[in-house]
Order: sequence, then C-alpha cells, then structure tokens
Amino acid sequence: MRLKNKGYHICFAVIVAILALMPLLLSAGVITSSSFVLFLGKCIAFSIVAIGLDLIWGYTGILSLGHGLYFALGGYAMAMFLKLQATGGKITSFMQTGGMTELPVIWRPFLYAPLAMILVVAVPGILAGVIGFFIFRNRIKGVYFSIISQALTWAAYSLFTGLQSYTGGNVGITEITSLLGSIKGDSNRGKMFLLFYICLAVLVLIYILSGFLTQKKFGKLLIAIRDGENRTYFSGYCVSRYKNFIYVLSAVFAGIAGAIFVNFNGSITPAQMTISYSITMVIWVAVGGRGTLVGAVLGAFLINICDYNFSSGTMVEIWQYILGAIFVLTILFFKGGLVGIVRDQLPEWKKKLTRREVEQHGK
Amino acid sequence: MAQFINTVFNCVSLSSIILLTSLGLAITFGLMKVINMAHGEFLMIGAYMTYVVQNIFEKFFPESMFSLYYFFALAAAFAVTFLLGAVLERFVISRLYGREVDSLLATWGISIILQQAARSIFGMQGVNVKAPSFLNGGITIGACTFSYNRIFILGMVILCMILVWYIMYRSNFGKQMRAVMQNRAMAQCMGINSRKVDMLTFSFGSGLAGLAGCSVALLGSIDSTIGQNYIVNSFIAVVLGGVGRLTGTVLGSSVIGFASIGIENYTSASIAKAAVLFIVIVVLQFRPQGLFAIKSRKLDE
Amino acid sequence: MKKNKIAAILLSSVLAVSLAGCGGGSKGDSGEDTVKVGILYSATGSMAISEGAVKDAEVLAIDEINEAGGILGKQIEYIEEDGASEPSTFATKAEKLIDQDKVKTVFGCWTSASRKAVKPVFEEYGNLLWYPVQYEGMESSSNIIYTGAAPNQQIVPAIDYLIDQGYKKFFLLGSDYVFPRTANMIINAQCKAKGVEVVGEEYAQMDQTDFGSIISKIEAAKPDVIINTLNGTGNLSFFKQMSEKNYTADDYMTMSFSIAEEEVKTIGADILKGHMVSWNYYMSTDTPENKAFVEAYQKAYGSDRVTSDPAEAAYDAVYLWKAAVEKAESFEPEDVIAAVEEGGITFDAPEGTVEIDGENHHLIKPVRIGVINADGQIDTVKETEPVVPDPYLKSYDWAVEADLQPLE
Repeated sequence: MRLKNKGYHICFAVIVAILALMPLLLSAGVITSSSFVLFLGKCIAFSIVAIGLDLIWGYTGILSLGHGLYFALGGYAMAMFLKLQATGGKITSFMQTGGMTELPVIWRPFLYAPLAMILVVAVPGILAGVIGFFIFRNRIKGVYFSIISQALTWAAYSLFTGLQSYTGGNVGITEITSLLGSIKGDSNRGKMFLLFYICLAVLVLIYILSGFLTQKKFGKLLIAIRDGENRTYFSGYCVSRYKNFIYVLSAVFAGIAGAIFVNFNGSITPAQMTISYSITMVIWVAVGGRGTLVGAVLGAFLINICDYNFSSGTMVEIWQYILGAIFVLTILFFKGGLVGIVRDQLPEWKKKLTRREVEQHGK
Repeated sequence: MAQFINTVFNCVSLSSIILLTSLGLAITFGLMKVINMAHGEFLMIGAYMTYVVQNIFEKFFPESMFSLYYFFALAAAFAVTFLLGAVLERFVISRLYGREVDSLLATWGISIILQQAARSIFGMQGVNVKAPSFLNGGITIGACTFSYNRIFILGMVILCMILVWYIMYRSNFGKQMRAVMQNRAMAQCMGINSRKVDMLTFSFGSGLAGLAGCSVALLGSIDSTIGQNYIVNSFIAVVLGGVGRLTGTVLGSSVIGFASIGIENYTSASIAKAAVLFIVIVVLQFRPQGLFAIKSRKLDE
Repeated sequence: MKKNKIAAILLSSVLAVSLAGCGGGSKGDSGEDTVKVGILYSATGSMAISEGAVKDAEVLAIDEINEAGGILGKQIEYIEEDGASEPSTFATKAEKLIDQDKVKTVFGCWTSASRKAVKPVFEEYGNLLWYPVQYEGMESSSNIIYTGAAPNQQIVPAIDYLIDQGYKKFFLLGSDYVFPRTANMIINAQCKAKGVEVVGEEYAQMDQTDFGSIISKIEAAKPDVIINTLNGTGNLSFFKQMSEKNYTADDYMTMSFSIAEEEVKTIGADILKGHMVSWNYYMSTDTPENKAFVEAYQKAYGSDRVTSDPAEAAYDAVYLWKAAVEKAESFEPEDVIAAVEEGGITFDAPEGTVEIDGENHHLIKPVRIGVINADGQIDTVKETEPVVPDPYLKSYDWAVEADLQPLE
C-alpha cells in the first residue's frame, strides 16, 4: 500500500515513539514522577476520542457536542465491571443507600468479563446507531444536529444523576482499580507500564484503522458529504447510511476511550458527560487541526498537558484567559489548527520572508 | 382548584423566564444564524450590572430612592451588553458569517474568558441583589399567592416581545434587517449597509440578554456560572419553536416550561429534565425545522 | 513531500518540547528550611463559589504558623491546584501534588464526589488528606482526617432537637447528590424510630433555578418543618422564591445543614431571619480564640468577609496537622498518621477545644443549634458538650436496627 500523507504519519510515529519512551525515561530516572506517565495514559484516552470526533467533524462535517455521553457510557460500562470485581459481585454501597438488596438487572451482564468488554463498545455503539438512524434519516444537520446532541447529553446527565441507586449519582462509580489491579505508586510501576503500552497499542490500532478508512474511497466520500451533501445525494449515494456508520464508529471510539480513561483514573462520574466537557473535546480537535488525524491526537495531548501544568497556583486565572484566547484565535485565524499553521501558514510566511529578502537584495 | 391555578401560574412563569432568556437568541441565532455560546455570559453580565447599580445606589443616593435603582439597572444592563455585543460582532462574529459551527466554538472561548473575568472582578463567591421594595412578596388571592417578581417578569417578557415585534416588523430598521437576513446580496444592491445592520442586530440580541439577566437576578444568586444554567434551555426552546420565527420561540418556551413543571409534579426534578429533553428530541425528529418552520425551497439550509 | 516532512518534524518537536518541559519540571525534595503542602480546591467551575472561603482560611492559618516560626523549624510552603469542580480533575491533581510536587499533606476537597474520587489516590500513595466540610458519614479512611462534622455531630442532634421542640411533620428537601440522599436516609430511620412523620422527600437538581414545583409540593404536604440539605446556589433560589410567596419562618420553619454565615450574607438576613441551622461553630461563638480568628480573617481578607463553619474547620485542620507533626516529630505522612492514631492531638479552636479521634479520624467537637437573626449572624440556642464522632452511627440503636452501615 502506498502511503499518502507521509508527513502526518511520520509525525504520529514520533508522538508514539515519545510516549513509548516515557516509561523508560521514568525507569532511568530522567523524569521523576510516575503520576505524569499515568496522566499521559488519560491523555491517550482523550486522543482516541479526539480521533473519533475528527472523523465525524473534521472529515464528515457533523459537529457533535455530545461525545462526552459516549465517552462516559464506555467508561461506566468498564467501571461497572471493575466495581463488581472489587465488590466480588455484591451490591455497592450506593445501591444499599437506595434501598436495594440485590444486584439490579442492568448490572448483571457486567459480572462476566467478556460480556462487559463487548458492552464497552456495544452500549455507545447501539445508542449512537439508534440516534443516528433517526437523525440522519430525517436529514437533520449542521447546528440542529449539534443542539440535539447537546440535549441528548444533558438528558443523559440528568438521568445519571437522578438514578442514584443505579449509577451512584453525582459521585459516580469510585474506588476501582484498573484491569490489571492497582497501578499507583512505585511498587506497581510494572503493571502501570504494561497498561500504558496496551493502551498505546490501542491508540495506534485506532489510528491505523481510521487512517485506512479515510484514505480509501470511503474517506473521499466523507469529505464529499462535508463539502456538498446534496451533491453527494444526487450522485447516488445514500448519505444518511454513510453518516450513520461514521457516527457509530466514532461513538465506539469514544466508548473505548472512556474505558481506557477509567482504568487510569480510577473512577467515572457524570461530570464526564456534561456539555462543557463535550465541547472541550471538540476544541482539542479544533486546536490540533481538524481534518487530519494527527491533528486530533496532537490537540488532545497539547491542551491537556498545558491544562495539567498551568491550572495551578497563581496561574489559574491567567490560564483561563489564555485558554479562551487560544480557542478564539484558532477558530478565527487558523482554521486548520496547529497542523494547518505548519502546513499552510508557515510556508507562506517563509515565502513572504524570502521574497522580501530578494526585494531588499534588488535594492 | 387552588392547586391547579398555582400549577398553571408556575408553568406560565417558568415559560416566561425561558422565553425572556431565549428572545435574544431568537434574534442572533434565529435570524443571523450565529450561535453565540457567550449569550449566557451576556445574561451574567446583565445580572452583575444589576448588582453594581444597586451598590452605587446604596452608596451615593438617599434610601428613599433605593427602589428606583432597578430601572437604572435595566438600562445599564441593556447598554453594557449592547456595547459588548457590538464589540464582539465587530471583532469576532463578523469574521465568521457563514461558518455557523465555527461561531459556536469561537464564542465558547469568549464565554470562558468572560466567566473568568467575572470571577476576577467580583470574586469567586456569589452575590445577591435585593429586590426593589415594590417587588417584595406577593399578592394573595384566595388560596393562591402570586409573587410580584414573577408577575413583573411576565410583564417584562410581554414588553420585550412588543419591542422586538415592533422593531422587526414595523420599523424601518426591521425591514432592513429582515431584508439582509433573507437575501444579503440583494439588500446590499438596494443600498442597505449590511455591515451596520449585522452589528446592530447582534447588539440588540445581546442587549436583550442583558435585560433577561437583570430579571433573573431577582430569582436566584449571581455568580460566574449563572449563564450556563439558562443557555441550553434557551437554545433548545429556539430550535424547538422553529428558527427565525418569534411565535415559534414563544411556543417552544411554553412547551418546555409547561412540560417541565407538569412532569416534575409527578416525578423528581432530574427525571423531569431528562423526560422533557427526550420529548424535545422526539418532536424534532418529526419536525426537524422546529414547530413553526419557515417554508423554503432552498436545499442547503 | 518535502513540505510534509518539515511539518512532521516541527509538530513532533512542539510535542517533544512540551512533554520534556512538563516531565522534567518536577523538583525533587525542596530545600532544607521549607516543607511543602498541597491545597486542592476548585478555582473554576460551579463549585468555586463555595470553595474559595475555605481555601482562604487555610492560607491564613499557614501564614500565621509561618510568622510564628513554622513547624519544627521549617516554614510551610503551599502549592495550590485547581480541581475545576470536576472529580476526576481532583484525582489527577491530587496525584500530581503527591507524586510530582512531593507534598507532605494535602488540605482540600469540598464535595463528597471529589473526596470519594481522591480517596483511593491518598490511600494508595499513603499520603494524608484534611477534609474540612461536614458530610454524610459512612466513611472512615485511614488516610483522611475529617475536620467537619460527622452526621451524629450535626444531623442527628438537630433532628432530636426538633423533635424535642414538638415538631411532628418533616419535609426533606435536598440537592440531588450523595450528601442529601444519605442524610435523608439517616433522618428517615431516625424519624421512624422516634415516631415522627416524614411527609415528603424531594430532590432538586444541582443547578436548578426554578423551585415553583417543589414549593407547590411542600404546600400540599403541609409540613411543620423543612429539613433543608440543598447545596450551593439552590439555597438562594429556594429561599427567595419562598419569600416571594410571603412565607417566613412562621409559616414554614426550616432546619438547614448547608447554610452558614457565608450563605446568609448572600441570601440576605431579611429572608432567612428566624430559620434554624445546625453546625459546630458560628461567627458569633463566644470564645477568645474565635475573637482572634475572626479578627485575623477580616484583617487578611477585608472587613466585609464573614467566617463560617467550613472555614473554621479548615483553619483547625492546618493547626491540627501542626500538632500532629510536632507530636510525631516528623513530616512524613505515615508518622503523622501514627501520631494521630495514638490519640491526644488537640487544638484550642475557635469553636472550643477539638480533639482528633484516633480511631475514626474525625474530630470530637461540640454541636450548636442556631437561629439566624436579623443582623445576618447566627444565635446559638442549644450547645452541647463535645460529641464523640460516630460516622457509622454504630452507637445509635435505631441506626443499627435500620441497617444503615455500608457494606464495604
């Protein structure tokens, strides 16, 4: 297979290489805190959901402001399984507070590991499929879709906080360890590294799958839908089916991301399915560069790492201003995000610079 | 019976609050197709203006004049948000016409900045305004008590509606505005300064948010996140009613208001919220353009 | 193709630089003469309104201690992190404080959600969290010291007091999250055992602004007293909308567990006058320590600021940590925890002398039932001797009978 967009792939490979080096650097003592590597694990989850968002927004032009919902659903599915592992299949304390004496039916499937792992992708996938089927069949698009996705997320958030005895309410599901057991602290470093590499491998797989899809005719069709939906209809394609497929795929990615997030985070709360959290995800893609997969990955890592380092002490206030300004400026002047700056703006500036030099020489 | 009247009054009251907060959106989103996520923050600014004007009155004016502060607050809230709207339009929105989705994300950034600005200026704690004395308490008729606050907000909505209706459909400016929104190129050919119309329309919509903020300041606390509590409801009301139609927005707000209270009477608040949103999503499946859609033969809309 | 390569190199170098900047940015142990502690609250998001005051009280205590010569000859250096009102951010930041900044202890968290999210982090790293807010109980982690009230130091005595006063019909109103739900579970069991009726139970959403429907339900249920566990902005909306309907404390008495001086100031004493609250400390509490505390607090943050129970509990937390460190003669968390568990860590707090119960890590503190007066202060109407904390309510027969103990 001939590789197109070689530069992007090289860039992604470099990112993966750097990430893969982090645990080694930690062992070698170059960086001192294992919590940072753990945090990078969460960033891997974020970059996976960013790839999913990029597929539907950057490529297909559907802006979902509710991907936090699918992220959280995947997370909840994983967390329910891990919680039952922790309690040994018994009911949890929030169920007891709610007056339950035995495990509710919706929790039962999560007793079995294979079933739970399937549900991690199936629950977000099926929900997205049903929602997408109706929405795309009725040709709801553009901002209307965005607002419906917001409403859906908000409804789910209310439901999850309201049904405390089933979901843990606002607190969510806490006190769970990862699939491999505890990963915190120096004594559990080996397990943490293993989990980190597994998740990194998942990221690479998803990147390759997405890259494969977008390079084929299918990817061209997605772009065609983005740039001229009606023309694509008139060319004889069933646009709604393509849209629904990519929407489901992106929800599945979000679900996987949520499951990874839970493993590193040790809890899942409804805060992950709020509207603002979902919009933040879109912003990662916008800042990194929509329409290129590596842009999504890059944006998710950069924004989160900056947030991690700058939202403390006296920086909190200033960081909020900078964050807001970055969003506004990116959208206004750098539509292609960081990738766009490097790809389009930099060569232009360079050209201008050399031209000016030539002119000066002329004088 | 008394309970029924009470419930109906609650429904009407909630609908009027939603309507008040979504009127500005009905203009900026409905007419201009600009999704201003910072609309909620304009509402917050309006609320904070009320607080500022109240403090000025407390300090510099005799106590007998205190109740009058609220009218000045209304004017100040409108003026400040109007000006801010103009600035926002000039520097951000005007670059994003035709890029609806992008306007949503850019204004989200603005809303982050405005929220932090509110925290930096007014502190993290919430503040509260004292209602002017003539709005304290309520009037009791039989077994029902109708609060003056709510009645005032109801009146406020009707006033704003008339204002919007007059400006949109009876004034010369409204004619220009509708012309620009319907066919920009043609309007420009007729000698309408479309840039100016854009700016004024957006500013007017923002000003209405300021008025709404001034009103909701009477109902609860004022803090940096107050806008977020109202904004999503407003967007949904506008979309549900049908974008670009004033009657649609009225109906959309009423549906949400009545359904919220109606369902909440039988279940809990959280479940009611989820149910209402679900109803909205289902309705929009059948009427994707909202309840009152403007019929159009345009394909790409 | 060349263009692409340039792009690749540039982009990855951006990432590499930022990664290196972060990973390498951690300093190891700090200098000889300072000791680092973490302060972890929300500076942004919806909870920032409540959490600011608590942070201020802790910073005040740290400054006071530093001025008086520090602890074991070392000055305290604090590192603030923003939890952004989001539990998983709290967990991430707690981990950052402990592992990267190497703090010796952390003062932080307000909501139960954030506390439960960070609890495993503190347990697995063996660090120590000082949690300053009254909460729903049913928890006792060896790595958390709870300086706020346990249920039996706030909720249970308040309900007993109401029953003594002859109230018979209770209406339970709360925000929809874990504290009100658990508190109401306790209250339900207590009321059942004492033979008083609970005529209704309603939960509002955290960001709810319209209480019309809930007020109608209250009117229909006709309670003597409303047990209010609303949190945050909901309180203001609820009381304002009650007063809109001309209701005062004479029509519907309320007993609130989340309204302190701070909230009274925002809601307005004219609305809250006559309503009851239950805490361990009030700004009006008459002790010499409190006079000094209020004076110092207002001197540091402005004369219009008020002190409140959570702020006072946060202030105590810093001094109790100092006492524990001095007893252990070590800053290491495990030594401090060992010193705490030996017992006898006391502090002459503004609310009176408090002592850490070595067994369950809560404070032995007095309970005060108060009534809000027209000046926005709270008058104590009943004060008890220091109460021994009992987070699981094991010493109450009705609680044991109702099987309230958690499973885990």
